[in-house]
Amino acid sequence: MWTRLWVRIVSVLVPGPDREEWIEEWDGELAARSGRSSDAWGALPDAWTLRTQGWTMDGMLREVRAAVKGLARKPFFTALAGITLAIGIGANTAIFSVVDAVLINPLPYPDSGKLLSVNHTAPGLNLPVVPHSEAMYLHYLNGFKTLSSFAIFQQDNVNLEREGDPERISASVVTQEFFDVMGVHPVLGRDFVTGEDRKGAEPVAVLGHGLWERSFGGDRSVIGRTVDMDGVQRRVVGVMPEGFSFPGKTELWIPMAIDQANPSVGSLSYLGIGRLASGQTEEATQAEMRGLLYSFADAHPDDLNRQIIEQAGLAPDVKPLKALYTADLQRALWILLGTVGFVLLIACANVANLFLVRAEERQREQALRTALGASRRDMVRHYLTESVTLALGGGALGLILAWAGVRGLLALAPIDMPRASEIGIDGSVLAFTAVVSVVSGLVFGLFPVFGYARKDLSGALKEGGRASTGGRERHRARSTLVVAQVALALILLVGSGLMARSFSAMRNVDLGFATADRLSFHVSLPAAEYPDAHSVGAFERGLQQRLEAIPGVETAALATALPLEDQKNASPLEAADHPVPEGQLGTLVNLRRVSPRYFESMGITLLDGRGLTSDDEAPGVRSVVISQALARSFWPNDASVLGRQLREQGDTLAFEVVGVTRDVRFEKVAEIPEPMAYYAIAPTGDSVPSPARSLAVVMKVGADPMSFVSAAREALRAVDPRLPMVEPRTVATIVRDAMAPTSFTVVLLGIAAGIALLLGTVGIYGVVSYMVSRRTQEIGVRMALGAPGGVVLREVVGQGMTLTGVGLVVGLLGAWGVSRVLASLLYGVSATDPMTYAVTACGLGLVALLASWIPARRAAQVDPVEALRSE
Amino acid sequence: MASVRMTQVTALILRAVASGRRYGFDVMDACDLPSGTVYPALRRLERAGVLRSGWEDVDEARSEGRPRRRTYALTEAGRDALREADAKLQEIRRLLGDFPPATAGEA
Repeated sequence: MWTRLWVRIVSVLVPGPDREEWIEEWDGELAARSGRSSDAWGALPDAWTLRTQGWTMDGMLREVRAAVKGLARKPFFTALAGITLAIGIGANTAIFSVVDAVLINPLPYPDSGKLLSVNHTAPGLNLPVVPHSEAMYLHYLNGFKTLSSFAIFQQDNVNLEREGDPERISASVVTQEFFDVMGVHPVLGRDFVTGEDRKGAEPVAVLGHGLWERSFGGDRSVIGRTVDMDGVQRRVVGVMPEGFSFPGKTELWIPMAIDQANPSVGSLSYLGIGRLASGQTEEATQAEMRGLLYSFADAHPDDLNRQIIEQAGLAPDVKPLKALYTADLQRALWILLGTVGFVLLIACANVANLFLVRAEERQREQALRTALGASRRDMVRHYLTESVTLALGGGALGLILAWAGVRGLLALAPIDMPRASEIGIDGSVLAFTAVVSVVSGLVFGLFPVFGYARKDLSGALKEGGRASTGGRERHRARSTLVVAQVALALILLVGSGLMARSFSAMRNVDLGFATADRLSFHVSLPAAEYPDAHSVGAFERGLQQRLEAIPGVETAALATALPLEDQKNASPLEAADHPVPEGQLGTLVNLRRVSPRYFESMGITLLDGRGLTSDDEAPGVRSVVISQALARSFWPNDASVLGRQLREQGDTLAFEVVGVTRDVRFEKVAEIPEPMAYYAIAPTGDSVPSPARSLAVVMKVGADPMSFVSAAREALRAVDPRLPMVEPRTVATIVRDAMAPTSFTVVLLGIAAGIALLLGTVGIYGVVSYMVSRRTQEIGVRMALGAPGGVVLREVVGQGMTLTGVGLVVGLLGAWGVSRVLASLLYGVSATDPMTYAVTACGLGLVALLASWIPARRAAQVDPVEALRSE
Repeated sequence: MASVRMTQVTALILRAVASGRRYGFDVMDACDLPSGTVYPALRRLERAGVLRSGWEDVDEARSEGRPRRRTYALTEAGRDALREADAKLQEIRRLLGDFPPATAGEA
């Protein structure tokens, strides 16, 4: 069925006399062999071969030369059309180059088609990615038959101690098979060997190429040397090849230290990657992993059982590795590509219109050519060569625009745009631009062809070229163009309007914390130097004290992560007075560790009770501050929950609620606040959580937060000179960065919609003023006969507005149709928000009114005598 | 009569037709080449006068309830070209030398 349709579509390329037999041949072959429909694609190159048989290089060059000459004779027309096309094609090229690099190109690792992200997902808990625990990893490692290698990793940061200042390095903790999975091995030294990722093994490390050159001067004798990393003396065993930095921007790889006898079961903190064994598929791995997950659950009934798996919807999620990093961007990028596709269509409509006008002007020339024996085919070829030549010129210009545009795009892009360094103009981008140019050239070039080439043009030769009868078809073509432009522009305006409203909704979200006048930075304490709660607690108090001593600093505090900065760190909790029944999953609660005065420093309002104090770190004290959402979830009927107890599900140690805070947007701006629990950073005594060592610092200051950076660095140095200060930025910046992906999309959609509006307006104006100029004579006659200017004005405006109205209706329906695609990017506004639709439609209508009013007024001021004399 | 540039593809196709593959899709299968390669080559060979096309028996097609298929056969000039094609294939075999034969195609 589809192949028959395909063959017929393609057959338009086949020269007329051969067409029928050509279709029969393909139909016959395809019908004789069922199930070979994929072979039908060859019909296209076949048809193209037949079409181009007999085309000679000479003839084509002559055509192109003639086209260039023709275009050069009309520099204004050519420039206008060329620039319009350059904008449309350039925008597409720019976005495509990003899509190509980020989404389409394979990852730059050997045989990367076999690289998989091997993790879980738990839709029941609203967790898109659920990583592995050590015990899970060991279970899978022994079980996988469909993977040739499997590894887990965790990104981390390490303080590298060199002469002089300490340096903080992006590091990854990996298992031994990591480099096998990636298919990339050290250029110097060796991989990790079996057993090196187990507890008690000698501490080793592999350096990234950049780090090796920067910090070790590219010295080959670095192999075997020991280096202080987070207070641990590690022996360097290898150096990776240049350019390898997976995951993220890793520059240092450290083997895990899994306690094989007693691996952690419940701490799901390691992402998994795998390489498919030959002949295996993603689906096979997925199925195998499902079985392994159940056998793992059966082996660890205390931590996981089938009921919990079911409740959480926990399931293996095996997908190409690149999908793990680009999932968030994927939708936004495809939408952007679609958007600029619309912009190009509008640009084509504009140029088609210019060509229609030009064709009309050249009617006499055409008629003459026909009279001299030019066939219809010659004329079609002439027209199409001209439009494709112009489009290729526009495409070349567009390529330059795209090159500049991509640079701007990257500057605007969310800071952690994956694979940003791979974006550029390469072969496939060039091919894309060429195809887009040729296709758009054919699209707008065909309009005048349909309007004219088949016409009997003898009439045009006879009178002054003002063919009033043949105009109907051209008029219809032009009207179609206006309607299409208005509709497309409205779709883009509605889309960008919806995004803009989401953005403003996000900006107005009550985050639950204060953003102004706050500086933050990070610091991480090496476990070797800070082995216990006492040393961490001393650091905590010491730093806080020194920071608060800085003139201008009101309060300072520490926490494991600030809002909108970190990923989820959640555990199932239960209220001590009504534990979760056996086998069910407790409420997933985000856990944070915070110092005294954290809530003041962050501007988080306490609703009840108190914040944590240094007394809460004393032995035997187990205090917790919880968020309003958690209080409501555990004790919905209590006026005050102070003194209530909660604990980790299945644990016996309960913590006492000493305070309740307002809800805070912790993970994303656009989320419903999830329940939170805040514990002390370094509680002492028995059976308490071990101290937190990866810390964020926040300082509330009088004004100009960034001016406190050096004083804060001094304070940190005074407490421990070996700790680097990492990523100092204001809390306002944290929020801005968290919203970067949305603002990025908003800005780009806004630009696209702006261009669409501009081109659409120019299009309407062009068509209406052209209609007016064609009717000058008629209007003159009518006005000479006494028709008042107002009537003429109304009539011309009415004509423009009728087309606009049709375009608006089509556009509204279209916007409604495509809004579903946008829905997942929206926040606080419905994809079918009537307000947005109404306002953009009215706005576009007004612009169209203006665009037709200007030429209409000119028409109404026509001097009848002039008009009649004009011919 | 236009001459044909003898490539591996044209050589394979000529050999396939010479050994009795009449239909385009049979040639594709024999040469293990995609339709987008074989058909344009068939057109060029026909235009160059090396191949001549006809139609399969209309009754046969009708009995199977489908349109006719086009058939291809060597022309007189095609027989000359075939010698050239065989030489080309021989040369390829020689170049491959010690390589173990992969899918040998028809030839």
